[in-house]
Amino acid sequence: MQIVDTDISMILISLAAVIGTLIVAFAVSVWLPGIERKFVQARIQQRVGPPISSPGFMAPIKFFFKQAMTPNSPMPQLYNALPLISLIIVVFILLFLMPQMYFLGALASIIAVVGLLKVEEIMYMFMGSLSKSVLSVNMPFPDLVKGAKHVDATRSFIEEISTLRAFRLIAFGSFPLYIALFVPVAMARSIYLKDIIAFQQLNGPVLFTVAGAIGAIVYFIGFMILMNEYPFAIMKTKADVMEGPYLEYMSKYRAYTYITRGFLIFVLASLFATMFLGIPPNIFNPGILVTIAVAILFPVFMAVMSAFSPIFTFRQFYPVVAATSILGVLAIVAAFL
Amino acid sequence: MDNNNKITTQVIETEVPMGTVHSAALEPYRLRLFVEDEIVRDAELTIGVNHRGIERIMEGLPVEKANSLTEKVCGICSNSHIWNSCLVAEKGLEIDVPPRAEYIRIIMEELERLHSHLLYLAHGSEVLGHETFSMRLFYIRETVMELLRMIGGNRVQYGASIIGGVRPRCELNEMRIQKIKEGMDYIEEKVLEFADRFIRDPMVMSRISGIGAITKADARRLATTGPTLRATGIEVDLRRDMEQYEPFEFDVITQDTGDVKANLLMRVLEIPESIKIIRQAIKDLPEGKITNRSWEMQDTGIIRSYIEVPRGKLYHSYKIEDGRLRNSIIRTPSITNINTMEFACIGTHITDAQLAVVQCDPCFTCTDRAIQIVDHPFRKNRII
Repeated sequence: MQIVDTDISMILISLAAVIGTLIVAFAVSVWLPGIERKFVQARIQQRVGPPISSPGFMAPIKFFFKQAMTPNSPMPQLYNALPLISLIIVVFILLFLMPQMYFLGALASIIAVVGLLKVEEIMYMFMGSLSKSVLSVNMPFPDLVKGAKHVDATRSFIEEISTLRAFRLIAFGSFPLYIALFVPVAMARSIYLKDIIAFQQLNGPVLFTVAGAIGAIVYFIGFMILMNEYPFAIMKTKADVMEGPYLEYMSKYRAYTYITRGFLIFVLASLFATMFLGIPPNIFNPGILVTIAVAILFPVFMAVMSAFSPIFTFRQFYPVVAATSILGVLAIVAAFL
Repeated sequence: MDNNNKITTQVIETEVPMGTVHSAALEPYRLRLFVEDEIVRDAELTIGVNHRGIERIMEGLPVEKANSLTEKVCGICSNSHIWNSCLVAEKGLEIDVPPRAEYIRIIMEELERLHSHLLYLAHGSEVLGHETFSMRLFYIRETVMELLRMIGGNRVQYGASIIGGVRPRCELNEMRIQKIKEGMDYIEEKVLEFADRFIRDPMVMSRISGIGAITKADARRLATTGPTLRATGIEVDLRRDMEQYEPFEFDVITQDTGDVKANLLMRVLEIPESIKIIRQAIKDLPEGKITNRSWEMQDTGIIRSYIEVPRGKLYHSYKIEDGRLRNSIIRTPSITNINTMEFACIGTHITDAQLAVVQCDPCFTCTDRAIQIVDHPFRKNRII
């Protein structure tokens, strides 16, 4: 009876920890886009910028109360469901990072995290291929009149370009992040998160080794690529595809995209804290403050980088990704040494 | 398109249409890009959605009224239009413009060139994805806008030129002259700082070097005009031939490569030249009246006038009948640069295509003044 009570109390404590961590993550994540845009980008650009609560907190609330129209999409319901699916995937990544979930075995491993991140990336492909906005082919403009060029060419929506770019990003763009994730794996000789954390509790954080420091730089560049932030914003660059996959989102579905972005920043920061500092996200551990600090610092550094960068086309993108990936491989080699 | 401006029969894989509403475009235009693996193989740029028909509205209006209407052609080079329109009337009616008025017109024109070039650089930076450059350039431009507001009373349409001179409100007193001097010092310092930062930025240079390159031969073939022409190395500047600019010393800036980098640098380097002209105009500003009102309206034949505006050659022509304007034609520089914009896109990545269009400094507000004729006896909804 005593044992059963203990088990139930443990389960309840774990449940409280998971829910509490999720609440903290959500509460912090809604401010991150505001910190990025207000405190860094706006300051660098010598302008007032939006209120800190606006991009991540007030904007989603505003969008929730906007009228939802049917998007220009062959499958509007699926298209509208994708941001929510994306948000759920990101939440699951955070769940698997929590120490209370390490009993799940293989799901609490770096392979599962990488897999879920890949699924999150694939969502952009689906979004792009399902969006058919009025801003390109659907524009009521007499293109194919007599005298027009190449009237027989296959006509492509600008979101389809985004889809192709999303595919390329899946193929090579996120390499740096995933390579960087395997630096702690190489050092701990295990793909399981609990082993990686245990290794760091014994030997100190991976970040403070040569391999870990290089890996952290590579991870940060990969983080920027995964966030589609300047200069790696080719999937949604204003110069051609505009918002790309998000073009047709409105109302609460757009709110989900905003929330997902903020949450993804927090989750990737938590992943960094777990893999490179050995501090998993846990509300009952003071280390959560480190996770929050990392979650604040990441968008700050990202905003500094993006404020001073033009958008990269693939001409610049390929060499940067290749060089960063090579650096990541070197970090893994250094980790084995 | 081949070298003889003939459409080739190449098979195009995919077409990506953009516009007429697009975040990279300040104005409405339709850009069809014919791409293979995101590389542009051909392009088609179409305008004609801006049904304002200003020339048609001008038809039959009193000349002074019609002149002030030309200012509404464009929000960026409004002074250029009204100045050229007044020059047409002055040429036809043989009106002598007081030297002081000529100098004030030159100051206004060069201030407008400054704000146009700064806008171009800011917009180019925005399309490049460099928001910080863009914001800071807009801050620098704000000084010019305030100077224009101080002289003309408005930030966009100043209405400085009238037939026979400039409006009394545009008279330059000591306070205004001092403000212009201070403004020029500030702009020169800031633009040179920007240029230094711009040229030293390897990321920016890698994005703009070799993109949308136009050779001298292509520029001649495509009837390119203005700074876009000079960026290819052809030293043509109509200000050299304009009698209004005779008292001033300035260099005609040219570049060699004709790409986005050359075009951006063209504008950066033309800014100090404009500042130089403004300083000379202020220093040598003649005394006397600013308006010659001793002229009489009479009928004229068709009079033509060309001037060099921030984007190239601007043409105005009309004739006067009973004090009213007839047969008005306005040809803006961007209409001749459309072919160049299309050509510059070819061979670039899709993301660079808008940059290649922007490098030619399109001003479709100037250019696109179509009118829609409804219930035409032979054709319905005809756009001309």
